[in-house]
Amino acid sequence: MENVRSKVVLFCMAILLLGCELPSRNSSESVNQKSIKTKDLEIGDEEYVMVTTAVTMPMYMNRDQRAFKRWGEKMGVKISILGPADWDVPAQINVIEEVIGTRPTGLLINGTDPAIAQVINKAVAAGIPTVVYDSNIPNANHHAFLGTDWYEIGRMQGEEMVKLINGKGKIGYMGILGMSNMEAGFRGLLDVLNDYPEIEVVGKFDSKASVEQAARITSDLISAHPDIAGICGFDGPSGPGISLAVKEAGKAGKIKITTVDGEPEHLQLVVDGTIQLLAAQKRELFTWYGAQFLYDMVHRTNRLSQNDAKAGITSVPYHVNTGLLRITKENVNQFIE
Amino acid sequence: MTQLKLTGISKTFPGVRALDRVDLTILPGEIHALCGENGAGKSTLMNILVGNLQPDEGTIILNNAPVIFSKPQQAIEFRIAIVYQQLSLIDSLNVAENIFANQQPVNVWGLIGFNELYKKATSLLRQLDLDEINPRTLVSKLSPAQKQMVEIAKALSKKPSILILDEPTASLTEKETKTLFNILQNLKGQGTSIIYISHRLEEIFLLADRISILKDGKHQGTFLKQDITKDELIKRMVGREIKALKVEGHSRDEILLSVKNITGKRFHNVTFELRRGEILGLSGLVGAGRTEIARAVFGVDSIDSGEIILRGKTLKIKHSSDAISHGMAYVPEERKRLGLFSEMSIQDNIIAGKLSNAVSGRFYSSTKARTLAENSKTKLNIAAPGVHQRVVNLSGGNQQKVVLAKWLLTNPEVLIVDEPTHGIDVGAKFEIYEILNLLAEQGKGIIMISSDLPELLGICDRIVVIKMGEVKGELSRRDATEEKIMAMVSN
Amino acid sequence: MFQKIVEERIYSLLVLLLFVCIVASLVFPATFPTFENFSQILLNLSIDTIVAVGMMLLLISGAFDLSVGSVVAFAGCLTAFLLQTFGLPLPVAIGVGLLGSLFIGLVNGYLIAYKDINPMIQTLAMMGIVRGLALMLSGSGVQNLPYWFNAIGQSKLLGIQMPIWYMLFTVLVFTVLLNKTVLFRQYYYIGGNEKAADLSGIRVKKMKMIGFIISATLAGVAGILLSSRLGAALPTMGRGLELRVITAVILGGASLSGGYGKIPGALLGALFMGIVANIMVIARVSGYWQEIILGVILITTLGIDKALQKKYTGSN
Repeated sequence: MENVRSKVVLFCMAILLLGCELPSRNSSESVNQKSIKTKDLEIGDEEYVMVTTAVTMPMYMNRDQRAFKRWGEKMGVKISILGPADWDVPAQINVIEEVIGTRPTGLLINGTDPAIAQVINKAVAAGIPTVVYDSNIPNANHHAFLGTDWYEIGRMQGEEMVKLINGKGKIGYMGILGMSNMEAGFRGLLDVLNDYPEIEVVGKFDSKASVEQAARITSDLISAHPDIAGICGFDGPSGPGISLAVKEAGKAGKIKITTVDGEPEHLQLVVDGTIQLLAAQKRELFTWYGAQFLYDMVHRTNRLSQNDAKAGITSVPYHVNTGLLRITKENVNQFIE
Repeated sequence: MTQLKLTGISKTFPGVRALDRVDLTILPGEIHALCGENGAGKSTLMNILVGNLQPDEGTIILNNAPVIFSKPQQAIEFRIAIVYQQLSLIDSLNVAENIFANQQPVNVWGLIGFNELYKKATSLLRQLDLDEINPRTLVSKLSPAQKQMVEIAKALSKKPSILILDEPTASLTEKETKTLFNILQNLKGQGTSIIYISHRLEEIFLLADRISILKDGKHQGTFLKQDITKDELIKRMVGREIKALKVEGHSRDEILLSVKNITGKRFHNVTFELRRGEILGLSGLVGAGRTEIARAVFGVDSIDSGEIILRGKTLKIKHSSDAISHGMAYVPEERKRLGLFSEMSIQDNIIAGKLSNAVSGRFYSSTKARTLAENSKTKLNIAAPGVHQRVVNLSGGNQQKVVLAKWLLTNPEVLIVDEPTHGIDVGAKFEIYEILNLLAEQGKGIIMISSDLPELLGICDRIVVIKMGEVKGELSRRDATEEKIMAMVSN
Repeated sequence: MFQKIVEERIYSLLVLLLFVCIVASLVFPATFPTFENFSQILLNLSIDTIVAVGMMLLLISGAFDLSVGSVVAFAGCLTAFLLQTFGLPLPVAIGVGLLGSLFIGLVNGYLIAYKDINPMIQTLAMMGIVRGLALMLSGSGVQNLPYWFNAIGQSKLLGIQMPIWYMLFTVLVFTVLLNKTVLFRQYYYIGGNEKAADLSGIRVKKMKMIGFIISATLAGVAGILLSSRLGAALPTMGRGLELRVITAVILGGASLSGGYGKIPGALLGALFMGIVANIMVIARVSGYWQEIILGVILITTLGIDKALQKKYTGSN
């Protein structure tokens, strides 16, 4: 009896082992990539889907999404914007996976985290033209990338800060800890500052994407280091947050501030002299040209060979650095709508 | 002076006709007792009177004008106040704030006038002979009896012309009960009508002018006190005569449980013995420490010194589960709060004392649990459509039987029952006495805590009297009388 | 029959799910009722469901744990950190990751059960502490995890992704435990009336502590599985997961006051939310609306459920 049972168990386990299917060894090499559908579609059938995270973030709405919508209207194609309302990378991945099943004409993906590489590869393998914007994703074989070099954002802030404080004094910086683009920015900043022995970096702080948190950190910094010379911010909310605390301490203009993004509130703070430099991205270009790349791939606008798919090439730029906007008191008025 | 007349009041809940064309007249300045078993419809009728429920048919006539109470506030406007059986006090607020809940005196700025509030509360408490309660004390610090008195004060603060009391003496001591009766007589003298609901027939005959009886939602008649005897009243309430409990002692010589010099938080140096087949009563005032002693014996509360010896073995009890494995069981007071899983089924409740009883093979089997529960249901005569019924829908007596059934399944040697008949109707009371008696006959030892003296005298072989956490004395069945016990507790 | 459906949330939810699926299949015949789409839905909710099983257990006992989302991140990051920084063997790294989660549950459980700290406050504090630990361990996240680690969450068995199997296994095991073992049935009594349970010989404190340990350990399993599936451990994993999971479990028939709920309800609640989210993706409902729609659905479902129960069973 016992013997029979153990045999049955062994047999079942063997069956199960046979049914087991391991993932491919090399993730960046897609095994049986379907070729991109390039047949001549009726214009009305085309649908371009953008999947991001934190879809309700004002900067994403005002820049990325608005430009994408504008592009859709101009081209007369259907566009959709999907993704979780809060910053949630696994949820963004889930949405991309579910979107792949619905076969959109093209996918425009916000490169939020290296962890989305796999799902990008899955989309590419499914034959969907896929473009990533904002931060590049290593080990992913998307067809094109448009974005900014975050390391450069760090350097730009660092170099400006050095000038502003004449190469000496205490500096603090903050951003959302744990995000790879921010960490690259931090590295850029530190690489510049480390060349100046008279500059002392007093700390790295987590602003948690919150104005209140940034303000709290700043006021604590000011009381711990009354002689603090400058503060750098790497996420959108840190600009208004740092400014608020600096103003409340009555040190507006005395403590130098460099930060990111060019939203109306940031611009206003440059106008009144609280913020000295904004290193802003050209986010509209990410999604506009990203969508255009998708369109050009599908419509074979530029044919570089007899059959690009068979030749294993794409007909759009692989890597586009849109560059940075350097906003200071001199040019800020040009950015105010 | 208010006269209240109810005519043809009916109310149906899904599956139950709770009230069936009930007529009732309350005269100005009378104390009108309302009797009936649990589930007879008393609570439903009172809830209709104070606007918590609306009748399906029938009219309420107040001073010759029909009224409709669609919400509780309207009853308050007509100066009808109720003292609920379940307390409605808020533990985290003090006495005065509870008494004047939602009707605090305000000053010219519309803010609560706390001085005025405390002054009014103090005078109200004095009127109730409750000088020892400070209006600034938090309600959570009061004893159950004091809470009940504050509840009554709260009702009186509304200066009602009709006052309804639902089992007000259930947690009161003798002295407090007397005070309450004096107050009620005074109110009556001032022309207030009082509707008095109680299971304690002695009280009813002492206090009431007229008595109305409800049974199964039907009015069984209203009588002047002098026109009806106790037996007749019981007969009309339960629809059958209940033979007086005749218990012959089953006490054997073997000592089952011996409690030696135990001292704990609210009792000192307590010693007593329990024999096989014996029903031992613990008598004393509420708050004398009886429950605390029982909890300590059962291992719920810790003891500082002394020992508990079961069948010659000294026990080390750290948790109730130890006590259970040694063959003890404890039916706590406050059935709803401590004894029942109200939202769960009869079956789940009955099996709770020893879940492993329902194990068949390696796993818990709900089929087995159901069989066990159904057996208990039959054996203890639990009135319910099925064992899947949730216990919250049962009457108090049946709920208590469920708790008893739970413990009987653990097959205890020692059963401690704490106020087992509190708030239970007469019929069920006698059934519970019979169960206890039967257990004694089987050789179990039973410790019974009760504030109901006739009950203790009726079924206990011996009574130990506790006062202020100490054993005051011991009386055998032959010697025990109400007077002797009262003398012991009150000196 | 109808009464049974109304009384048991599991059945009413099942009926509702069927209805939603039928409607969605009629509206999106090409994209919704496909094997790929459903295996995608199941895959996406597998992590949530594993955490929800632990949460269901806690809610049955009348408690809940807000730190599970952070524990998901912590367990994933700790395991990945050990694999990458110290090159520990896979089973050791996973073992330490699970032990770490278990320890968090132990601290939660001990303080709540034996020191009478309010579960909401305790687990809220723990949520912050553990998220901080995850950030410290992984910085901006750990990428390039070993192949065999990734294989745990990315393999398939009989054509179905492994996380789905793990989820089904967890649900099955805990369904049996809660229905069929004396030890776990005690949770219903603790949730029904803690004081009465204690007087009935149930070691309430010990059981409560075990409940928190189980919930945290399951969150640890989910965290390791999620990193394996992503091929990376992110400190931001599991953000907001606790509320999503509590929502699913409540939908699945648990009550915040304890005593109610069945383990399969956790799966059904998560499935319902997963299907609704999937339909919104297919219907291209923009992200702005998703949360609003989910909230409205939750309130409506529970509201209708309450009303039906009141009407057909006469209880409230």
